[in-house]
Amino acid sequence: MFHNTELSVGQPRRITVMQGHAYVGAEPNEILTTVLGSCIACCLYDPLAKVGGMNHFLLAEPTPGSGTVADQNYGIYLMELLINQMMTRGGLKSRMKAHVYGGANMHVGMARIGDANARFAINFLAEERIPVARADTGGESARRVDFDPVLGRTRCRVVEPVAAPSAKPAPRPQTGGGDLELF
Amino acid sequence: MSDNIHVLTVDDSASMRALLRAALSSRGYNVSQAEDGIAALEWLQDNGSEVDVIVTDINMPRMDGFGLIEALREQTRFRDCPILVLSTESSDEKKARARSAGATGWIVKPFDAEKLDTALRRVTH
Repeated sequence: MFHNTELSVGQPRRITVMQGHAYVGAEPNEILTTVLGSCIACCLYDPLAKVGGMNHFLLAEPTPGSGTVADQNYGIYLMELLINQMMTRGGLKSRMKAHVYGGANMHVGMARIGDANARFAINFLAEERIPVARADTGGESARRVDFDPVLGRTRCRVVEPVAAPSAKPAPRPQTGGGDLELF
Repeated sequence: MSDNIHVLTVDDSASMRALLRAALSSRGYNVSQAEDGIAALEWLQDNGSEVDVIVTDINMPRMDGFGLIEALREQTRFRDCPILVLSTESSDEKKARARSAGATGWIVKPFDAEKLDTALRRVTH
């Protein structure tokens, strides 16, 4: 789900990347934006193809053997989805650079989900050999991230905690994922 | 349980390989893994007779899933081995290409371990 806001002629089109989604853009005058608490947004950018994208995930990965589906709530799915969408739009993994934002620990005394999320994102990118150009994670504050997918520029600023979405699983879209289609 | 079915999973994501290994091993599968098409071909060169089914991602470095399927179908001993694609991709164009290359079927990620188990048993029995 993406909220598109057409401001006016000459103003950038702002696309809100909601929790559980990934979006790749290659259009000038387009800004991808999101607000994060303990969630992570990873921005990928291919400077040669001038294509960039952002995802927004709630949790890192399910516990192995738990039987939980690694679905739209998890970074392990949304990171791969973002990389594949980048490649579909002409991006090359070997040229990609990453920015990682979010992972705040919003509630003192509760499990440090934000730290675990940030650690997962950094480790995943290391395994994929995608260099992290900038990371702003941890702390106790919510963040707003704006990302220009063509220029690869980001802006990350602290916002009031009330602006961050609740850390609850997003409703699962009816994607038909996991079903076998025999040829 | 899966009667010791031997599955080779091919995926360049170490995290996804770990998730697949946990999901399949806990259901009784014998799991081998490769990180891309080239690594899979090299492993199959020596161990191919042991494998009952191959599950491969599409977008991988060095050799992608399409290349792997085409290379395997050119070899007599893998002509009838079930090969399932497991990918976040779901476009008709990509599926048609996989079908043309010789894939047995396609599963869209995110994968459900129960559904994957059912699919593997279906194509190996």
